[in-house]
Amino acid sequence: MNGADLPGMLPDMLPRLWAFALRISGDRHDAEDLVQRACVRALERAHQLQPDTDPLSWMFSIVHSTWINELRARSVRKRSSMEWDDDFLENVADPVDKGPETQLMHSQIISAVERLPEAQRVVMLLVAVEGLSYQEAAEVLEIPIGTVMSRLSRARQAVGALFGTHDPKPKVSVTRKDSIA
Amino acid sequence: MKTDDLLLMAYVDGELAPDECREVEEHIRASAEAAETVALLRASRLDYKRAFATQKLPPVPDSLTQKIEAMARAHSNKSAAQGANDSSIPTPSVAPTAPVRSPPVRSRLRSVPTWLAAACVAGAFCGGLFLRLGPLLNTGAPGSGSAAMASAGNLSPWVAAAVGYQQLYTRDTLAYVEDNPQVSSKTVEDIRRDDGLALRIPDLRSAGLTFKTVQRLHFNNKPLVQIVYLPEKGPPIALCVMKNVNPDQAVAAQVVGTMHVVTWRQAELSYALIGKTEGVDLDALGKRISNREVDQLFSNATSVSMALAG
Repeated sequence: MNGADLPGMLPDMLPRLWAFALRISGDRHDAEDLVQRACVRALERAHQLQPDTDPLSWMFSIVHSTWINELRARSVRKRSSMEWDDDFLENVADPVDKGPETQLMHSQIISAVERLPEAQRVVMLLVAVEGLSYQEAAEVLEIPIGTVMSRLSRARQAVGALFGTHDPKPKVSVTRKDSIA
Repeated sequence: MKTDDLLLMAYVDGELAPDECREVEEHIRASAEAAETVALLRASRLDYKRAFATQKLPPVPDSLTQKIEAMARAHSNKSAAQGANDSSIPTPSVAPTAPVRSPPVRSRLRSVPTWLAAACVAGAFCGGLFLRLGPLLNTGAPGSGSAAMASAGNLSPWVAAAVGYQQLYTRDTLAYVEDNPQVSSKTVEDIRRDDGLALRIPDLRSAGLTFKTVQRLHFNNKPLVQIVYLPEKGPPIALCVMKNVNPDQAVAAQVVGTMHVVTWRQAELSYALIGKTEGVDLDALGKRISNREVDQLFSNATSVSMALAG
């Protein structure tokens, strides 16, 4: 897997890039622009994609850095998750073969993550939602792996505080690829 | 963040060796704070992936899918073309793991690279669906795109399309274009041989315009050549050329939105000189080109380096 394969892979990656861009930007138009810009930059730099780098996490890193630069350019803070347009980022779970309790649980999980401070939220999206390793998330965000872990720990404690009282039993583990041991 | 918390997270996630687990468990028994952290972390072991998989998101817009597919296709072609010329194209040295830094997205299309613009427009050109680019143009240059399209009725369709394309160009666009005389020379050769156009690349340095690139595009499946020049300041200027067997036509100028367009037909080739009006008298320049008052670049391979040296 290297940069030469990237053009062929991009269309397949598009749904996940779109979802990630929507979640970090909170705006449909920004997300569209963001994905387009990120793909342009990725294709220009396809030769920099190393064989041992997961193309998807490499793309996430470009989407993320493009977004950060956009925010810097706009000189505005990221709008808080509370201001999100619920018209297109609904927390209502898709009712496919799920009981109302599961749906409620899913929408609560989504809400809990969206309420996190931005830095913690992005780490949660990358590690817990997208399944990136701590190391991959560190590379995406261009921060030390220890920072990824500490943000994740804080994020999880905040989420845990919301779920601890009525769901003492662990449901499913947070899955990721590496271990800190 | 305390190292303690990271250790506790690893413990909760079952990532510690048995002896480490025992140490942590002793610590939890001795520390109410640690026990509380463990409780919170345990409660955070949720199925985030599945929860977010059920989140209702708007579908990927068709326009985005089409753009990504077009640019992926264009880039595949570009890679293949470059691969074929590897021996003659010097590859820039780039640190392979350099972090990707993107410029700000202040304006959505401000720095669209040439090949992307080509990809977007190539689709429109080939399918005769140029009007679909309307919204794209409007996004890039509020107000100007629609004006251009609205008043483009008296232009040939290909000139209207080329004007729309030119509106995508900024000086930033050309920042991505490498000055590579060999590539340009090869492109000109291909145009002359494969497209059958007796193309001259005018040397416009005397008018303050530096040759930047020549591109092969298509309009309704016919070759369209775009020659791009950079003035000392202001946006790039293009000379576009298509085959046309109709009789010659004198130089005529018109304004399309914010763009100045000078057209003429000569020796079975239609020309359109397109640019903003700042700084360069395109009308006079069009006449000079049509009167062959300027030299040409790439008249043969050996003259390339000399022609570009100045």
